[in-house]
Amino acid sequence: MSLFMKIISKEFTEKEAIDLLRQFRENNERRSKEVESIGMLYNTNVKNASERYMIMEQMIFAMLDCHMYGGAAMEIYCLSQAFPGSMRVMRYKAMLLEAEEKYDEALEILDRIIKADETNAPARKRRIAIMKAQGQITEAIKELVDYLKKFMSDVEGWQQLCELYLQAGELQRAAFCAEELLLHQPHCHLHHQRLADIRYTMGGVENMELAKSYYCHALKLNPDNMRATLGLFLTTTNLLNHYKSSGNSSKRKEVWKLSQWVQTKAARRTALNHSTQLTNMMLNLAITE
Amino acid sequence: MAELLLDPKIRFWVFLPIVVITFLVGIVRHYVSIILSSQKKIELLQVQDSQVMIRARLLRENGKYLPRQSFAMRRHWFNNEDTGYFKVQKRAAASQNPMTDPGMMTDMLKGNVTNVLPMIVIGGWINWMFSGFLTTKVPFPLTLRFKPMLQRGVELAYLDASWVSSASWYFLNVFGLRTIYALVLGENNAADQSKVMQEQMSGAAMAMPPDPKAAFKAEWEALEITDHKWALSNVESDLLAITEDNIE
Repeated sequence: MSLFMKIISKEFTEKEAIDLLRQFRENNERRSKEVESIGMLYNTNVKNASERYMIMEQMIFAMLDCHMYGGAAMEIYCLSQAFPGSMRVMRYKAMLLEAEEKYDEALEILDRIIKADETNAPARKRRIAIMKAQGQITEAIKELVDYLKKFMSDVEGWQQLCELYLQAGELQRAAFCAEELLLHQPHCHLHHQRLADIRYTMGGVENMELAKSYYCHALKLNPDNMRATLGLFLTTTNLLNHYKSSGNSSKRKEVWKLSQWVQTKAARRTALNHSTQLTNMMLNLAITE
Repeated sequence: MAELLLDPKIRFWVFLPIVVITFLVGIVRHYVSIILSSQKKIELLQVQDSQVMIRARLLRENGKYLPRQSFAMRRHWFNNEDTGYFKVQKRAAASQNPMTDPGMMTDMLKGNVTNVLPMIVIGGWINWMFSGFLTTKVPFPLTLRFKPMLQRGVELAYLDASWVSSASWYFLNVFGLRTIYALVLGENNAADQSKVMQEQMSGAAMAMPPDPKAAFKAEWEALEITDHKWALSNVESDLLAITEDNIE
């Protein structure tokens, strides 16, 4: 039975529910539906004041995600009573307005926060989120670049910029952002895979070689990364074609070995998952070989 | 040797009062420091500087995961003679004299009021009020070296070293109540005096704001001598080797 079903059939005690909330917070899990239903069905009024406020914040996020603006407004009101004039609570108000698509009012509040405290990074990020929500990708990019000039080691910021550039189709810049992500978290296989994806999309022999290296590294870090496996398969197929025509035999041999290896690996995985469709697609791609 | 017998009244009039007083003073200190504490205003420029430093350090450490060209591009951005970030950004050297900064002066004063003053006043008062008592005995034998630590205020050459005098009992409390404060007031409370003492030991150098100019120069140098070594140069053969090992 899923966690959500367990929650709504009230299988947990109050204490267990609160522990569950804490577990979500510690693991950075959003789980809005679960959190929100816990808030509805269980009494989450813990004695410890700091934890109570933390649960309230968690509830606000969850309720905004679930479009329960009334409940969120109530929680925000409680928090603003407890902490009058707090920037953090102001930001929640802006988020509520943002969720209700009252973007101008939200921006007004955020601007006020930034004016009062220039170093408030979350408020700046919310401004960018609003622009993104309005579909103003170029403005959002401009603002985000401006933000990153000041907060250069913000990993999330770089990741967002990478995605925005991809939306705008500026692959070269997206690659730059992906490289920045690698600098910050070099042991995350997903970042390696992301950069490899971008390099593969950019095309050209040099980029293919880079994509191959990064896919390999992603696979080294996490052998179960299926996307990297298939990506490596595509890149090696592509490179083989190239080397066949250009007649670079030593490199061709290397790539061919890698290609064989990744093919068997992918085949083994697909056999496990019984997906004949994928095998057929791969066969179609490899047929040029 | 005949065992010393302490008057039970010492327990009620010296031993316990010292514990209670130290504890309550800690609590009061916590709340006073909350009242006096001022939110430290951080300059945007300061944040930017520290983030740039982090990024430059990461480039040095993890630059090996980038292709040579990307690495060189970033280093150029930081270190280029004419346009590099570390060369272009001119930061004023940090003010040499903290006395010229009134904000820092008040901070120092507040720190002294909440940290040093109660320590001197309460410590002195306890020394005067409860001087010359033996309060308790640690349940294990100790060497003579411990005598100045545990028997402050009672200078008897032939007394067993495991007896604890009142002044020393106060100091033991000051240092030992930390976990109790953490229980009562939560983590990161201001009641703990031992932390203050450690800070004073480490000297005033910590309190001075770091000088961004010097830090930039150091980072520039470190980045200048960093060599790019492409970490993924034989990742393909590595990958093949790993899986072959597994199959065997």
